Amino acid sequence: MALRELSSLEKSLGLKKPNKYSTQGDKKVPVLQSNNGPSLTGLVTIATHLVREANRPELLGSTAEQRAVVQQWLEYRVTKLDNCPKEEIKTILQDLNQYLEDKVYMAGDTFTLADTLMYYGIHRIMVDLAVQEKEKHANVSRWFDHVQHYPGVRHHLPLLVVLRNRLYTSGHH
Amino acid sequence: MHFEVLSRNTSTPCSDVARARSPIRQSCAQPFFLSLDLKMAAGTLYTYPENWRAFKAQIAAQYSGAHLKVASTPPAFTFGQTNRTPAFLSNFPLGKVPAFQGDDGFCLFESNAIAHYLSNDALRGSTPQASAQVLQWVSFADSEIIPPASAWVFPTLGIMQYNKQATEQAKEEVKRVLAVLNQHLNTRTFLVGERVSLADITVVCSLLWLYKQVLEPAFREPYPNVTRWFVTCINQPQFKAVLGEVKLCDKMAQFDARKFAEMQPKKDAPPKKEKGSKEGGKQQEKKEKKEKKEDKKASAPAPEEEMDECEAALAAEPKTKDPFAHLPKSTFVLDEFKRKYSNEDTLTVALPHFWEHFDREGFSIWYGEYRFPDELTMTFMSCNLITGMFQRLDKLRKNAFASVILFGSNNDSSISGIWVFRGQDLAFTLCEDWQIDYESYNWRKLDVDSEECKTMVKEYFAWEGEFKHVGKPFNQGKIFK
Ligand SMILES: N[C@@H](CCC(=O)N[C@@H](CS)C(=O)NCC(=O)O)C(=O)O
Repeated sequence: MALRELSSLEKSLGLKKPNKYSTQGDKKVPVLQSNNGPSLTGLVTIATHLVREANRPELLGSTAEQRAVVQQWLEYRVTKLDNCPKEEIKTILQDLNQYLEDKVYMAGDTFTLADTLMYYGIHRIMVDLAVQEKEKHANVSRWFDHVQHYPGVRHHLPLLVVLRNRLYTSGHH
Repeated sequence: MHFEVLSRNTSTPCSDVARARSPIRQSCAQPFFLSLDLKMAAGTLYTYPENWRAFKAQIAAQYSGAHLKVASTPPAFTFGQTNRTPAFLSNFPLGKVPAFQGDDGFCLFESNAIAHYLSNDALRGSTPQASAQVLQWVSFADSEIIPPASAWVFPTLGIMQYNKQATEQAKEEVKRVLAVLNQHLNTRTFLVGERVSLADITVVCSLLWLYKQVLEPAFREPYPNVTRWFVTCINQPQFKAVLGEVKLCDKMAQFDARKFAEMQPKKDAPPKKEKGSKEGGKQQEKKEKKEKKEDKKASAPAPEEEMDECEAALAAEPKTKDPFAHLPKSTFVLDEFKRKYSNEDTLTVALPHFWEHFDREGFSIWYGEYRFPDELTMTFMSCNLITGMFQRLDKLRKNAFASVILFGSNNDSSISGIWVFRGQDLAFTLCEDWQIDYESYNWRKLDVDSEECKTMVKEYFAWEGEFKHVGKPFNQGKIFK
């Protein structure tokens, strides 16, 4: 999973030659093999490295504050979102929905790596959501739909349908 | 006239040099390929500073990379003057701004058309549906947002009389508009498609005044989706480059009666009566406008124009203080002298008038001499030096008069002049903008009663005489008035 994700990220960053990856341990932690430098371990480390390699520093945040928030969500992605037990999904969605009420992007006012990795990470959850559930978490759905349409991001993942017009609830505010 | 100067600049073969020097801001986006460059719109946008209608075009250009120069300040453009010149009117018959002239001569007025022209396909909407939706929101902004927004905001800026009923009705209409946007943005990040389009640019610019002046936190609370979208938009680098930092309103601005009184034409016109209560905001506005026009006709002489929101925009800017405000009223009416000077004989009418009415308390007379005569080469260049200075001092015209003369011939000339200033100080030091040329001259205050002063005033105003102190023959003169 993480490897396809990294390969999608490479493409979305416009990196020409693909890197070589392997995985480590039961949790299949990705490892970037490198010819000349040390190998790198872990999704966040490697993704951050790729962004730097592509010379897109703004994707890591343009201000100190935005950079910190990007890091926060990258960490959240691997510690909270990945492998989260089923019963926690509800809370995660609720929290995110609230967080995204007044935000278009995960960090700051512009698209960052946090959006890409959160999108990759939450896709498996969104796939399983019923229409009603998606409506209930309108802010998450709206953000998700925006990111999956963001130029060059989606790649390996199927496009999910997010309805614009409510079928069930009549507004959640 | 300024307009002509500018168009000449932009069409000279070495226009890059001209542009680099001209006081015009240029958007920084540079295309990578020349072929692209040729297709991209490029030109000049005429507007008064900080005009939300012009912002639409400027932001669109930021996204598309169109080369847009903005002419909003003298000498390139002076609102109320440049847009009255025959040259301007022949390109833009309404004389309104914003107005756009392409480097290829292509002319456009109406801000939405200009923004459309300066956009790329992504901004205009790249499918028939998307481009129609963009048009939908652009029209929505003009017909649904702007009328109530103006009716509510203008009184808070002191440019329209407050009418409780009209304001309350406008508030309700604004609520309705915000509710529509809020509903739409509940499931959407931007107004059309999943990216910023001309729809977002236009609607954001139309809401600018509302968010800045009156949409305090409690009022906007029911519309979180609108505020989320608005804040995201204004923080995109392309918006920010044009709008700067936009501060959302903390506390709803109220009608400011004093400001309103100050903004009224100085005539002691009776305060406007409260208007018919059953009228809607829009009609109300129209009626106000009409009455305003009639008012002006009635109290004729001040050729002040109807500015509406332009006035609002200017009024909301931190006012540059009038550096002459502290002076007591003077009996010497400079304008009257200028009229005499322009229309009648200098020696027999204008000069006697000058000395008869001159107020030595309220005005002073100065001799200014160019410090670097050795650097003067061709006389036409020296002349440009003088007219350039006059243009830079444009804002001083109301409070000064001067006759500046070029003496001698090519490579052997000098420049000096007689200046009449309001007040006892050299006006240049009163305002930073005026100091550019000041240091290139030696200044000497003349004793109004001295023979020297009388002679100099006579010779410089009349452009004839001995000019004993100069030692070079009169070449040509320029009048600052
Ligand atoms: N619908 C026009 C309105 C333009 C307009 O009203 N411009 C005003 C300034 S806000 C103007 O130039 N007035 C000068 C005049 O009427 O002489 C647009 O959007 O461009």
